[in-house]
Amino acid sequence: MKDLTTRLASGEPASGDDGASQYLTFRVADERYAIDILDVKEIIEVGRLTRVPMTPDHIRGVINLRGRVVAVVDLGARLGKGVSTLTKRSSIVLVEVASNEVEANGEQQLLGMLVDEVNEILEIAADHLQPAPDFGTEIRTDFIHAMGEVDEGFIILLDVNHVLSVDELARLGEMAAAATERPAEV
Amino acid sequence: MTNDPREAFVQEVDELLEAMESALLSLEETPEDPELLHTLFRAMHTIKGTAGVFGFDPIVDFTHRVEGVVDGLRSGERALDEPLIAILLSCRDHTLALVQAVLEGEDPSQVSADLLGRGQQLLDRLCPEPVGDLTAPVASAPDGYGAAKVEKLAGREAADDYWIISLGFGPDALRNGMDPLSFLRYLGSLGEIVDIATRTDRLPPLADFDPESCYLSFQIGFQSDADKATIEGVFQFAEDDCEIDILPPRSKIEEYLALLDDLPEAQVQRLGEILVKIGALTEKEVAQALAAQAADQASARPLGEILVGRHDIQRSIVEQALDKQEKSKSRVAQEGRYIRVDALRLGQLITQVGELVINTAAMRVAVQRRDTDDLQEVVERVEALVGDIRDNALQLRMVQIGETFSRFRRVVRDVSKELGKEIDLVVTGGETELDKTVVEKLNDPLTHLVRNAMDHGIETPQERLACGKPAKGTLQLNAYHDSGRILVEIRDDGAGLDPQRIRAKAEARGLVEPERNLTPQETFRLIFEPGLSTKDEASSLSGRGVGMDVVRRNIEALRGSIELDSQPGQGTKVSISLPLTLAIIDGFLVGAGGEQYVIPLAQVAECVEIGREQALTHGDRHHVNLRGEVLPYLRLKEFFGIRSGAARKLRESLVVVRVGHAKVGLIVDELHGELQTVIKPLGRVFENLKGVAGATVLGTGDIALILDVQQLTALLQAHPQPQAVSGRH
Repeated sequence: MKDLTTRLASGEPASGDDGASQYLTFRVADERYAIDILDVKEIIEVGRLTRVPMTPDHIRGVINLRGRVVAVVDLGARLGKGVSTLTKRSSIVLVEVASNEVEANGEQQLLGMLVDEVNEILEIAADHLQPAPDFGTEIRTDFIHAMGEVDEGFIILLDVNHVLSVDELARLGEMAAAATERPAEV
Repeated sequence: MTNDPREAFVQEVDELLEAMESALLSLEETPEDPELLHTLFRAMHTIKGTAGVFGFDPIVDFTHRVEGVVDGLRSGERALDEPLIAILLSCRDHTLALVQAVLEGEDPSQVSADLLGRGQQLLDRLCPEPVGDLTAPVASAPDGYGAAKVEKLAGREAADDYWIISLGFGPDALRNGMDPLSFLRYLGSLGEIVDIATRTDRLPPLADFDPESCYLSFQIGFQSDADKATIEGVFQFAEDDCEIDILPPRSKIEEYLALLDDLPEAQVQRLGEILVKIGALTEKEVAQALAAQAADQASARPLGEILVGRHDIQRSIVEQALDKQEKSKSRVAQEGRYIRVDALRLGQLITQVGELVINTAAMRVAVQRRDTDDLQEVVERVEALVGDIRDNALQLRMVQIGETFSRFRRVVRDVSKELGKEIDLVVTGGETELDKTVVEKLNDPLTHLVRNAMDHGIETPQERLACGKPAKGTLQLNAYHDSGRILVEIRDDGAGLDPQRIRAKAEARGLVEPERNLTPQETFRLIFEPGLSTKDEASSLSGRGVGMDVVRRNIEALRGSIELDSQPGQGTKVSISLPLTLAIIDGFLVGAGGEQYVIPLAQVAECVEIGREQALTHGDRHHVNLRGEVLPYLRLKEFFGIRSGAARKLRESLVVVRVGHAKVGLIVDELHGELQTVIKPLGRVFENLKGVAGATVLGTGDIALILDVQQLTALLQAHPQPQAVSGRH
C-alpha cells in the first residue's frame, strides 16, 4: 500500500518505452479488477461515510476530502455483485471522470470508488490487451475497457468513465428517488 | 480589479450602452428630458473617445456619426420621435456588435464589410440627406430647427435678445493697420448687426485730436447663431489693440443655464473650464480674467466676480456654474467610495471565509473537549467576529435585482411591437437584493417567462377590448423578501391558462392518468413537465414545448422553486422562490438515525419536545397536535429509511418549519443547535436528488446534509405514507 502511494505521488511515468501501461489492481467481491493508473488521483482508507437518503444502493454516501464533499460509489453494487461489507482492508480509490459525456471538454468530477482491497500496480504491454468479449462476462460489457493478460490468466480492465458515468449515476439516482416517492410500486 | 484595459473597455461599453438603452426607453415617455438626452450623448461620446485610444476605428467612425445626431437632439435642432428612438436603439445594438467584432477580430481597425454596411444603413436612416431645396426642412419640420429659427427672428423685436458686443479700439489701432469697419463687415457675415452705436466719449478736444489715433468705441447689437468663440474669432487680429466684451443674448443665457444643468457631474472642473465648456466664455477671456486675478492678489476677488466685473458674462450664469461645481464635488466624493472588483476575487474571498467558518467550528469542538473557560471566551469572540466577517463578505456580492428587471423594458418594448400588442411593464421591488450569482442565473428563466407572458398571456388589443379589458395589457415584475428567501413574481393580466387544455394535453402525452384527480394547482404544475406546450402553433418566441421544464430546472439548480397560478380571463402569476445566497447560511443542526442534518434557520419556526402519544395517526395522514393546531409531520429517520439499531426514543423533538404560508413538523432524535453552514455542492451525481439541498462540513469533520424543506414537504404531500418507505441501507 505504502509503496503504491509513494509511486503514485512520485509521478513516475506510467507507460514504459515498449508501449506498456500501468494498471492499479484491486479486489471487489472476490474478483480482481484493474484500472489505468492515470485515472487514479489518490487512494484513501475508509473513514466516516455519510449516507445520502433516497439514493440507490451503489451510492455509498459522501466523504469529506479535505473540505470537499465527494460522492463514493460502491463498486461491488455498481458491478451488480451486491453491497460491499466494510472491512479493515476496504479502501476508497479516488478517480476523476468527465462530468458530462456530451461535452468532452467539460468539467471533471472527483468520485470515490469503494473497493474491498487494493493490491498492486501491474505493467501490461499493449499487445497483451484483448478486446472485451461480446458476452460471457459477469459484468456489463461497456464497463470493460479491455482484458489484460496476466500470468496465464485474464484480468478485467475497467472503463472508469463508463463504470462511474456521472450522467448514468445521476439518472439512476432519479429513478431511485422516483421509486422512493411511490412506495406502493416498489 | 480588472487589469486588462480592453476588459475595462468592454465593461465600460456595456455599462454605457445599458444606460443608453434605458435612457432611450425612458425618452419614449419624456422625449425632451435633457438629462436623458445627455446620457445618450455621453454614451456615444465616451465610447468614441475610449475606442479612439485603442485605435478601434470602426467604432470611432460609427459612434461619431451617432453622437452628431444626438448632439443635434440635445441642442433642440432636431426633435426626437419614435422612429428615431427605434433607429437609435438599433445603433446601440450595432455599437455592441462592433465592439464584439473588433475585440474578436485580428485587426482592431477593421471589421467585416457586412458589419460596416449595416452600420452605414443605420446611419443613412439616422440622418437622411436633406433634399435639394433648403427651405424644405423648415417647412416639413415645424418643431425642429426651422421653428427655432423662426422663433428667434420673431423675437427680434425683443430688444435684449442679441449679443451685445463692445469694441473699444485703442489709440494705436489705426496706426497698426486695423480698420474697425472691416471687422464690422466681417462680423456681418456671421449674422446680422441689428443695432450699432458709436461711442465718441473718448474724442479729445479738437486741439489734441490726432488724426492717426482711434478714439471710437462701438456698441453692437448682433443677431447670430454663432457661439461666443466664433464671434470672438472675428476680432482675433485686433485683440492687442482693442478691448472686446461679448455679452451673450438673453436666450443664450437660458441655453447656457440648460447646458450647465446637463453637464455630467462625473468630474470636478474649475469654474473657468465649466464656463468655457458650455460656451459662455472663451478660453481667452478666462486667461485674461485669471491674469487679472493674479495681478490683483491683494483684493483676492474670486474668479466669478472678476468675470462679471469685466462684463464677460452675466452673474446668473456664474452662480449656476458655481452651484454645478459644488454638486460635482459631492458626486465625485460619492463615486470615490466605490471600487470595481473582479467577481472571481470575491468568490475566492467567500470560499475562504467559508473555510474559516468551518475551521472555527472545528476549533470550538476541540476547545470544548479541553473544557477551559478562558479558551472558551476567546473562541466565542472569534466566532462572533467570523460571523460578522461572513455577513460582510456575503453582502459584497449582493446586488439589487432592479438592474435585471429594467433590462426587460427593452424586451417588452421590442416583443410587444413585434406581436402588435400594447403592453405596459410595471416593475416593483427593484431594490430587493440578492446574490449576484443568483441574479445572473435568473436572467434566462426570467426572459423566458416574460416572453411567455407576452406571447401566450396577454391578448391583442382587439381581443382585450372584446373581453371588456383595457386595450393595453400590463406585465408586472415584482420582488420581495420573505422569511429568508427572495420571491420574484411575474404577473400578467392576460388570458390566463385553461386547466382543461393543460390536462388534455398532459393526458395526450401520457403525463397524467385520465382517472387521476388533480387540484388546479397540480394541473398548473404540469406546465413544468418536459414536452408540454399549450399553444398549438409554435411562434418564434415561445410555444415549442421546450422551456418551462428548463425554466424549472434552472430555478431548482439555484435551490429555488417555481409555482404558477392562473385565473382564466384574469391573468397568470408565476412566483419564483429563491435562497438569498448560494454560499453560507445560518443553519439548525439536528440528529436523526445517527446522521446529522441541517435545516435552514430562517425556515425554523420553533422546536418542541414531544412524546409519542402526541403524534396522532388519522388514516394514512400523520398529524401532530401542537397547541390545538393540527400539523402534518414526517419522522425524518423513517422518511429517509434509516434503519438504525437503536430503538425509537421515548422522547423526540419536533422542529416546526415554515414552508410558504404553511407549517410542517419534522421529527428528529436530537437538537444540536444553530451553526453557520457553508453550503457545499453535492456534485452532479446527486443532481436529481430531491429534499437535499447540499452538504456542509461540521467542526468534527463530519458531513451533514442540508435539507430542502420545501422539496421535502412536496414529497410528503405527494405521498403521505412516509412510514412505508423501505430502507435499503
